[in-house]
Amino acid sequence: MNAKEKIRDSEISELHKLLQDALEVEHATIPPYFTAWLSMMEGFNYEPKEIVKSVLIEEMLHLTLVANIMNAVRGIPKLTHRDFVPRYPHTLPHSGDHFKIHIEKFSEKALNTFLHIEKPEVKGILPKGEGFSTIGQFYAYVGSRIDYLCDTYGEETVFCGKIDLQIRPEDYYGSGAVVVVKNRNTAHEAINIIAEQGEGAHEGLFDADRNILNSGEGKELAHYYRFKEILLQRHYTKNDTPKSGPSGKELKVDYDKVYPLKKDTHRREYPEDSDIRGALNEFANSYNQLLVSLEDAFNGNRGRLTEGIARMFALRNQGLAIIQTPINNGQRTIGLDFTPN
Amino acid sequence: MSKHYDAIIVGGGVTGAIMAKMLSEGGKNVLILEAGIKGAMKPKNYRKYLNKLYTEGGIRGMPNGPYPWNASAPSPAIPTAPNPKSEQDPYFVFRTEKHFMSDYLRMLGGTTLHWQGTSLRMVANDFKMQTVYGRGRDWPLSYEDLEPAYRRAEFELGVSADVEDQRFFGWFPEGYVYPMHKLPQSRVDKFFLDTIQDKTVELEGNTYPLKVISIPVARNSTPNPKYGIYSGYDPIPSVGNRDHGLRCQGNSSCMPLCPVQAKYSALKTLNGLTEKGKVKIKTQSVVSRLIINNETGKITAVEYKHYKDPDSPENHKLKQAGGTIIILAANAIENATLLLASGAANSSQQVGRNLMDHPYLYTWGYAPKRVFPFRGPDTTSGMESLRDGEFRKVHASFRASLSNWGWSGEPKNQLSKLIENKIYGKQLRHTLGDRMTRMVKIGFMFEQLPSYENRVTIDDNYKDKMGNYRPVLSYGYDDYTKGGIEAAVTKVWKKISEYAKIEDETQYPYPAPGGYQRMNYNGMDYNIMGSGHIVGTHRMGRYSKDSVTDRNMKAWDHDNLYVVGPGNQVTIGTANPTLTTAALAVRASEAILKELE
Repeated sequence: MNAKEKIRDSEISELHKLLQDALEVEHATIPPYFTAWLSMMEGFNYEPKEIVKSVLIEEMLHLTLVANIMNAVRGIPKLTHRDFVPRYPHTLPHSGDHFKIHIEKFSEKALNTFLHIEKPEVKGILPKGEGFSTIGQFYAYVGSRIDYLCDTYGEETVFCGKIDLQIRPEDYYGSGAVVVVKNRNTAHEAINIIAEQGEGAHEGLFDADRNILNSGEGKELAHYYRFKEILLQRHYTKNDTPKSGPSGKELKVDYDKVYPLKKDTHRREYPEDSDIRGALNEFANSYNQLLVSLEDAFNGNRGRLTEGIARMFALRNQGLAIIQTPINNGQRTIGLDFTPN
Repeated sequence: MSKHYDAIIVGGGVTGAIMAKMLSEGGKNVLILEAGIKGAMKPKNYRKYLNKLYTEGGIRGMPNGPYPWNASAPSPAIPTAPNPKSEQDPYFVFRTEKHFMSDYLRMLGGTTLHWQGTSLRMVANDFKMQTVYGRGRDWPLSYEDLEPAYRRAEFELGVSADVEDQRFFGWFPEGYVYPMHKLPQSRVDKFFLDTIQDKTVELEGNTYPLKVISIPVARNSTPNPKYGIYSGYDPIPSVGNRDHGLRCQGNSSCMPLCPVQAKYSALKTLNGLTEKGKVKIKTQSVVSRLIINNETGKITAVEYKHYKDPDSPENHKLKQAGGTIIILAANAIENATLLLASGAANSSQQVGRNLMDHPYLYTWGYAPKRVFPFRGPDTTSGMESLRDGEFRKVHASFRASLSNWGWSGEPKNQLSKLIENKIYGKQLRHTLGDRMTRMVKIGFMFEQLPSYENRVTIDDNYKDKMGNYRPVLSYGYDDYTKGGIEAAVTKVWKKISEYAKIEDETQYPYPAPGGYQRMNYNGMDYNIMGSGHIVGTHRMGRYSKDSVTDRNMKAWDHDNLYVVGPGNQVTIGTANPTLTTAALAVRASEAILKELE
């Protein structure tokens, strides 16, 4: 190992590309989770709605963590280029089984899709074909590439990005703390948070016991098991295992108290001068503006994170107005379209 | 009698919560007896109360409106404010023509369930009014004595502020910063900053600046990484949902209830305690009497009435609890009532005396340009430079809170007025849009001096349905306070509206609307509210003959009784009292821990 050796362009670009893909993987879950969350009517489904929201918020944390890792290795997180917001149905980058994700209302079917997204990594099972079968496997690969580069060129050569560009704990709130990535350990810490919040740590139900001060909750269910609770309409207890299934209190779900929004809406379905088209344009525009603020925040203008948060409120109100609008004689309501143009 | 505790705390509000936390951290076993129900501590109920506020807020008496009526532990209502329940069943008894215009809440979490969150420190001269201005009385403490406790209180409540702004009157240790950065100042604030900053006003022969500064609030904002005294600060989320409440979202509906619990309430402190197990909280337990050993003067036990159903006050069980130290941490009026009912701590005859509040007065008008109110929390800045000055020899000091919510409830009235005048359609929208976006309002909050006559008493003829004494109140405003009100309206507001070119729309209609009462001074009429800042009923002092407690809030007459809360305040000054209350709770806790060593 020679720490002075210059890192090969192809190798660092491969890592940057992997991390940019990670950004896209994390981001691709946000429109479907957001839509399922918004489709649950106010005043009903309190618990399922809070659970889906908690996952949604953590996906935003994951996005932020990936951006921090990228900045640490002098990558440039990009959120506004063409195709960053995919057209749904969409297949996650690097997904081995070409599983399709839709923009649809909260339902058992949607939950099954979410479970597929957050599916726990099974140790010892190798990726099939060219892709990975779980997000965990994908991140394990990212981690192994970081290790390889550190071993080959030295940590300081790999982690040479400007620390100032990263989002700090005080900038971010909700769903645990942001990690500022400075070296191999902190990069792994960030990756572990992402993997564990999604799938659970060490094949268990919970994420690792991170110190979530003052919240009164040491451990949190991983996303996969949070969705499972909703599907099975029962809470897990501390003694439950993935095999035993949940044995706790009942969790009430009312699939009827959901706006019946149309799946995978494309705004071209509506005439260009119609009010509906106008509202959908405005929504996609707001979503794009949100990504602009986030990209800027992830590239050194941290203050714009706050602006992003304000945009999220606007997005909620605009989205709600859309999915409350009936079509087909009230059988359905208009769906959401996040994709610019 | 069951288990013996190191400390029994009467009242589960901010004082009780902080003291329970500090005493349990010191290894003590603590019992909190709370008269009210568990209520808002249950997230489901919190959501229910929020919903009640949104759906019935306007027609129910504020600020207790969203909370259920409890016949077993009744809460007062603001006189003249509409509140169907308390009209049938009033709690306060008034002895004077002028009414005491503030309320409090008897429920776990106490009145922090409807406070504004403003967390100003008192001004150094507030502690030595007699020495400096020949008015009121001196405290047995100085600002410097209380300063460390203020810092701890700012940690416990989670205060967001810019320390540089607060240095205007206060001394802060070198390098101190608040736990979190100040909340963003509103466009309304900026309008006043642009127009009146560093303009002046003359009061009693001296010139004073009109200084607009950001105010400290116990609302979560961005943590300040420089905050290090208590090893950094992690904002405390809501009770029951850790994704909620980590930052103020600027929902302009946070009085009385913050929709996400970004605003501090004692529930947050209490929630942390029950999980750790050193503190036991018994709700629905109304303490009715302190049992005194006549030989030693010690409080041997507290007697309390435990009820199952708030609507059946007569169905209660009489119980007792014993502790080494007894702490009264209820509202200042409740502490006084309980002491009087027990014949306790009153050798000075000061229990219940010196009742104070901040009389509150609005002035309002239209800004010459759009300032876009109805955004953010109700207030983020104040005109704070008249909280102290030589004029306090003559009249009350005051602070002016800049409203971010225009004329509050006015949009509805404005709309009705325009429609009455047959303005419809586009013109209606335009007129309303123009007026609403130019509304400015200032809330002036006045100092009151301690007075022997403003007081809480009890009377055998007035008891609640459980058989406990109701507070009997005598209250009024003296010329010192009235002089301050006159100066605020005729001098300060006049200057502000001149400098800022505000079209003055202030008028005080007769009869005074709900929640206000009429006050006349020098030929002018004003409509006055209370601030809910209930202070002074068991003041601390240097001597047992003219005060109820010593400087550590221990009752002079009973060796193991502490009476703690804003009732200890000797003067009220112009700070909203919760932060000072929290600081006093810190100080008392430290004294008790030392005593129990």
